[in-house]
Amino acid sequence: MALFEARSIHKRFGARVVLENVNLSFEAGQVSGIMGPNGAGKTTCFHVLTGRYAPDRGEILLEGQSIGGLPPQRIARLGVARSFQVMNLFDDSTVLENILLALPDFRARRHKALTAAFADAALIDEAREVLDQVGLTGREWEPSVSLSYGDRRALEIGVALAARPRILFLDEPTSGLGTEATLNLARLIARLRQRYTIVVIEHDMRFLFRIADRIAVIHWGQVIAEGTPAALSTNKWVQRSALGELV
Amino acid sequence: MIQLAPHLFNGLTLGLLFALIALGFTLIVGVMEVLNLAHGSLFALGAYIALSMIDPAWAQETALGGWWLGLPITARYGVALAFAPLAVGLAGMLLERCLRPTYDKAPLYGLLLTFGAALVIEELIRLGWGTGEQHLPVPDGINGAFFFGGLIFSKYKIFAAVFALAAIAAVWVFLERTPYGAIIKAGAHDSEMVRALGYDLARLRMFVFGLGAALAGIAGIVMVPIWGLRPHVGIDVVIPAFLIIVLGGVGSFWGAVVASILVGLAVGITGAYASAWSLMSMYLLLIAVVGFRARGLFGRKSALER
Amino acid sequence: MLTLSDISPRSTAWVTPQMLVLALVMLSAPLWLGPVGLYQYLGIEIAIWMVYALGFNLLFGYTGLHSFGHGAYLGVGGYAFGLFQHHVGTSLVGGLAAAILASALAGMIVAAAVSHRRGIYFALLTIAFGQVFWFSAIKLHWLTGGEDGLLNIPRPALDLGVVQVTLSDNLSFYYFTVAVLGLCVVALWRIVNSPFGRILQAIRQNEMRASFIGYEVWRFKFAAFVLSAMFAGLAGGLFAMAQESAYPDVMSLHQSGLIVMMVLVGGGLVSFWGPVLGVVLYFVARDVLGALTETWLLWYGLMFVAMVMFRPEGLAGVLHRLRRRPPSAAQTRPVTSGGA
Repeated sequence: MALFEARSIHKRFGARVVLENVNLSFEAGQVSGIMGPNGAGKTTCFHVLTGRYAPDRGEILLEGQSIGGLPPQRIARLGVARSFQVMNLFDDSTVLENILLALPDFRARRHKALTAAFADAALIDEAREVLDQVGLTGREWEPSVSLSYGDRRALEIGVALAARPRILFLDEPTSGLGTEATLNLARLIARLRQRYTIVVIEHDMRFLFRIADRIAVIHWGQVIAEGTPAALSTNKWVQRSALGELV
Repeated sequence: MIQLAPHLFNGLTLGLLFALIALGFTLIVGVMEVLNLAHGSLFALGAYIALSMIDPAWAQETALGGWWLGLPITARYGVALAFAPLAVGLAGMLLERCLRPTYDKAPLYGLLLTFGAALVIEELIRLGWGTGEQHLPVPDGINGAFFFGGLIFSKYKIFAAVFALAAIAAVWVFLERTPYGAIIKAGAHDSEMVRALGYDLARLRMFVFGLGAALAGIAGIVMVPIWGLRPHVGIDVVIPAFLIIVLGGVGSFWGAVVASILVGLAVGITGAYASAWSLMSMYLLLIAVVGFRARGLFGRKSALER
Repeated sequence: MLTLSDISPRSTAWVTPQMLVLALVMLSAPLWLGPVGLYQYLGIEIAIWMVYALGFNLLFGYTGLHSFGHGAYLGVGGYAFGLFQHHVGTSLVGGLAAAILASALAGMIVAAAVSHRRGIYFALLTIAFGQVFWFSAIKLHWLTGGEDGLLNIPRPALDLGVVQVTLSDNLSFYYFTVAVLGLCVVALWRIVNSPFGRILQAIRQNEMRASFIGYEVWRFKFAAFVLSAMFAGLAGGLFAMAQESAYPDVMSLHQSGLIVMMVLVGGGLVSFWGPVLGVVLYFVARDVLGALTETWLLWYGLMFVAMVMFRPEGLAGVLHRLRRRPPSAAQTRPVTSGGA
């Protein structure tokens, strides 16, 4: 059984069918990719998989458990974490607090109104570990707004990681990054894949071909191809969907 | 059902007058994405300025004033009806200038600013005209009662309804048949597009705010003989205006008109059964429509939900 | 721009130096209020309004939910206190408990309607509810006394077991309200620095992300609203004791707007102490400026408008900016002994 599956997903907005009979599955321990040109439905697909929209039809399963239609906070607690393409941080807060808020152990204390949030050294260490993982060691007390774009991107991923998710969805993580930062990101994902199952949605094909074990290609609201990067590079549908040059 | 007729008539009149208020309000929200909490104060200001035009306090002492007071009330009322809204329009433009620093910030600041402006305008009214109840003189021809079908109708309310209808028609002509009106109408639907087309957004905003304020002012002049002339008479204006744009859609002319009439009728009918609570019905209607998870009647996220 | 989440230190202390300063000022007030030309009752009003404003800011500044109809809960608290004295029994604790419970209930009803909303819809709904409460207070004459008010509300004595402290004179009542204020300050400081309080601030900053990291956002908004209403109700009960009566006017849109103005002007959007500064500024304007001119409220309103335009961080923000050295990493570390 795959860790995460989407079966026969249909989604429409008004009269427009955006996703039609989309089937996806992601195996534990792998890096999976979702690729496609803009407007193809991959963003909507992502939103459906991570709980922002409910599918009109179809099932979403996390280790066999149905999570389709559940509100985002329920899905998050079940271990599905996501980062956002347009950065979605807590901009009035420090780097550390962004991570702290996302830690499940912190969340477990959410009812506590008379204890000090920053008194627990163990929690702060946990948050520091996450910062180490994304390369933001020592930056804990900086305001998140003052970070460079690349560092904010790292923090963005860090917030998703903090939940120790069973599956981590990354929404166009290379967005706005230069070559060097993109390389760093690829290295980061290579490090993370040892502990996490990752799904990356991208339209930077080179990046995806480098890091992913399997890639699904979405075009016209459907999965038109699926397979390893090697297999896809010879797939005529992939070539035809005008994805530009191949790796 | 016969007993309902006067209330339906009242409701219809109220609805038409609400339409005047709501039209100004919706244009401001549509073009500028600002919820003008000072709309009610501008409404009141219009009435008070008209009062001063018709019956200036200083008039007794000067020759000019004496001549003015000697003119028939109809003439003075007409002048006030034409010019007081212009003064309110200017006040609106001034308010728009004050709003400029808040445009690039969160919507809260615009809301706070217009809220503060409402207080300032109300205080100015209190200081300028006193806190007591006053009376706006109206021409004798539209004063008094009118008998029809065995029922008594107020002549003034008929005038108010007809006037409101004419004003609404004038706004329609402006929006539909003039080039500048077309820009405003487009802007009310999509201010981004207007900017992209290269129109001077700053002047557009100032004009729209002025127009919206002037419409509120006219509504004030026409409504205070019914609602009474007190400094806080405008308090019950913003909530129905908001309710109307939630129901009718932001920036929509017909949406505002139709929703206004519906809201007016709702108030009128409530008046038939529980007159003291009739204004409260608007508040309760808003709570029912907007509160408790409702997504308005259209489900679309509007600029209001940023 | 400065914000609440970064200007306040991640304090783990129960009591901070600022609290001690406030305590000093408030406890010594009876000594210097007279000589500066003010009077004891003003101290009572200020202390009560500080409770109201600090509780209000939990919702307004910290959670980012802009309630323009909060006077309703102050009013409900006042009426509940009075009605308890009239119909149940003369009791200080009973009356204040009734005030808190009644305002909590009123808050729950409104919160149920508004907690799924934010922004402008939220604000306008709170205005609508505020008007309904105000109008009801005026019309339900048999319950509230209508516009004439609920009169003859006693000031029950404080029963400390071994001794009964009478509160009928303004001096002892003043110290009582300051004691209540002290407890509220300590409690609220703890709340905003607790996990619950930090989550409220996260919700203010990014509601969507907060839900995507696993928080049931509407429940937190609901809780913040009810808590804030309870503080308002407590203040209302104290106010009913202070004036020995309760009137609908505190529930009016005008008065609900004043608390918003006080909190913003003082700097509630960026500082825990903003509301305190704002309350002092308002009452000074009312009494000192008001003694000089009838137009004091106009000037206050104009100042408010100017601050929204140019200095929305309020007085506390301006003061902080004047005092602050350039920002460095050391500046924002959590302090275990309280701090700026």
